[in-house]
Amino acid sequence: MVEILKTAFTIISSAILLYFFLINAFYLLFIVLSLFGIFHYRNITTYLSFKDIFQLPLVKPISVIAPAYNEENAIISSVKSLLSLEYPLYEVVVVNDGSTDSTLEKLTECFHLLKTSRVFRKVVDSKPVRGIYTSREYPNLIVVDKINGGSKADALNAGLNISKYPLFCAVDCDSLLEKDALLKVVRPFLEDPERTVAAGGIIRLSNGCSITGGQVTHVELPRNFLARFQIIEYLRAFLGGRIGMGMMKSILIISGAFGLFRKDIALECGGYRTAAIGEDMDLVVRMRKFLYDKKVPHQVRFIPDPICWTEAPESLASLAKQRNRWHRGLIDALVHSRTMFLNPRCGIIGMFAFPFYAVFEMLGPLTEIIGYIMFATLLIMGKINYPFALIFFLLAIVMGSLISLLAILLEEYSARNYTRLRDIIILSLFSLLENVLFRQYLTFVRVKAYYDYFKGKKAWGAIDKKGFAQARQQLK
Amino acid sequence: MSLPIIVAAYSLLFLLFFSLSLFLFIVVRRIIVDYQTKTFEKHYRDIEKSILEVVSSLRPELAKEVAQKYRAHPDILVKVLMEYANIITGQARELLQVIFNQGLRDKCLKDLSSKRMVKRLRVIRLFVLFSNPSEYSYLLGLLQDKPMVKLTALSALARVPTPETLSYIFQAFEQDQGPLARLYFNIMFGLGNRIEFLIRQYLKKPLLEEKLGLLIELVGAIRLRPLYEDIVVFAGHPDKEIRISVARALGRLLIPESVPALAALCADQAWEVKAQAVKGLGNLKNPETLGLITEALFSPSWHVRLNAGHALASLGEEGIKRLKEVALQNMDRYARDMANMVLDDLVYLGGAA
Repeated sequence: MVEILKTAFTIISSAILLYFFLINAFYLLFIVLSLFGIFHYRNITTYLSFKDIFQLPLVKPISVIAPAYNEENAIISSVKSLLSLEYPLYEVVVVNDGSTDSTLEKLTECFHLLKTSRVFRKVVDSKPVRGIYTSREYPNLIVVDKINGGSKADALNAGLNISKYPLFCAVDCDSLLEKDALLKVVRPFLEDPERTVAAGGIIRLSNGCSITGGQVTHVELPRNFLARFQIIEYLRAFLGGRIGMGMMKSILIISGAFGLFRKDIALECGGYRTAAIGEDMDLVVRMRKFLYDKKVPHQVRFIPDPICWTEAPESLASLAKQRNRWHRGLIDALVHSRTMFLNPRCGIIGMFAFPFYAVFEMLGPLTEIIGYIMFATLLIMGKINYPFALIFFLLAIVMGSLISLLAILLEEYSARNYTRLRDIIILSLFSLLENVLFRQYLTFVRVKAYYDYFKGKKAWGAIDKKGFAQARQQLK
Repeated sequence: MSLPIIVAAYSLLFLLFFSLSLFLFIVVRRIIVDYQTKTFEKHYRDIEKSILEVVSSLRPELAKEVAQKYRAHPDILVKVLMEYANIITGQARELLQVIFNQGLRDKCLKDLSSKRMVKRLRVIRLFVLFSNPSEYSYLLGLLQDKPMVKLTALSALARVPTPETLSYIFQAFEQDQGPLARLYFNIMFGLGNRIEFLIRQYLKKPLLEEKLGLLIELVGAIRLRPLYEDIVVFAGHPDKEIRISVARALGRLLIPESVPALAALCADQAWEVKAQAVKGLGNLKNPETLGLITEALFSPSWHVRLNAGHALASLGEEGIKRLKEVALQNMDRYARDMANMVLDDLVYLGGAA
């Protein structure tokens, strides 16, 4: 029995070591690829005025769909930001998903909304619409008031039904877009309109930033430690991960905060799956699966440009709710499209991206927690090799910090949003601290997400955010 | 000490050293970049001041002096010139050209064959802003370059619409395959009715459907009415996309004689063609088409109904009367709802939809 246990421990510890080696190797690979991606993008945008090309008639119009549920704090500044975007032809469809606060009242008051008898095609499923409102001052603004469907996907489907343009951009109502965000993100659709089915860009955190007129005007680090840790996470995820995966043509997720999609393909896939927990990833995975099944050549592109700003939760409880939902969403999307796993018919997505997300992103927290449990067990049993355990622990911390530092370097080579040297030093310090406690806390939260997922929990979990208007006031 | 511990310890030391070096690199690089930015801004301000002096004094010899003085800072000089070339016109603009000729022209010609794409792109942009039309032949060498450089060079050539440059653009359009073909639309659109004869010529060639569709769309977008006869023959084309393009183009050309062709397209099997044809009929504002458009308001396709509703609204009093009639009937609730929506839009938004 002891021998069996010993063998099991050896196998598990070897597997954990292999996991540790592989995940870090992949992250390093993504960062190297990202560096190439950033240089290439910087080259082509420096002396090429895309605005000259885009502001011509062939550019497809866009419907910006913004679902809102109890967003009374942020709704006005968000909609103003959306209405001030630079793009030749677009409409803004705000979907009030049965808010119980004064979201609709605030919109009606600010934009002088009028209820109309607009008719629409119900192509994809969503809860009944109570009313459609338009504004005399802003003819490209449409507000849809619907019964709460219990998911963002349901609200987005209502927006899809009402929107009229061939491309749609799904945005979060608590996000702010750069003025030229649509011009930047539509580039792949202009370069290759037949094959491009979706595109996304870099999402940045607005905590600590100054916001004026619906635009981020000054970038600074927030005082809140949790927000600082999340800034490093976002840098790593977007600058390191997404750009790198984009270079490998392996994009499997376009953030729900900002993504541009071809409407006909999304509708053919049945729109957003209302039962999906992470509707953003779910839609991209299903679109790709659908296109691979039909053998249609396609691409999902990622733009290495910061185009959208969103607010990170600043309390542990809110962060836990958010990450719990993200991880449940990941599990749900991957389980739902599980036939793509190691499926050669799905190309690089089936053979690399899907297995990567499944093994390292979905199962990652379980592997980590098994490692911690093993460590605790050996500690109790007095069988631990203290010098090795200590060195391995330090190695993990330094490796994690190194990857974060490389992400900071990528930020320096790309947008260089943090203009003060002090901010860069603080970020570097936090990249070290992030690996102690914060990382373990998130691992625990993500493991709990498994329990919630198998229990059938579908709720979003309301996340407390200050809202941009309040954040601005506090900064003054 | 066992081997795993030694390996782990060395790995830790290496990673620690690498991380520290990286951190120092980031900090030192930032300090250098900040210093360079400050120096750049200082030089930028100096050059800006000198250029403002040149354009306010209008003295060519001063322009030459400025060019000589800042030859050592070509990148900054390029930035300032690009900035001001877009906002300065007239005699002062010519002085900017003097600065370019004296300070940057030779370097630009050299950079045309640079290995770095960013330099080649920069040269094209400078050529667009400052070169004489006779010098555009230098850009022809870039037509064999990477797609991005090639398209930028073609955009630059489009600014000098001589018969020679126009034929280069159309030849490239004919040769290029796939997504690039679509980008030519924007280049050609900017050329306006100068390309009428070339479009006529290429419409007769055996082009791919996608390219043919783009040329037909172009006829509508530029409103090349003399090409009406050339595109209307494609109204019966077997490819649906071509028929959509024809319907859209005819709707933009606003030629009264196109009513029969659009009416025929209204009876097309594909709803996309019907929808465009109905929209085109609305644009023509011909009262004789009232019955046809009203009929389209009862179409099973939502898109056709939507376009028919707006087409009726654009026909004025008679059209609105028809909309009101449809809004009051109970035979077809889909047509009724659409009529109500268009009437609502007219009331609330003054026609915008």
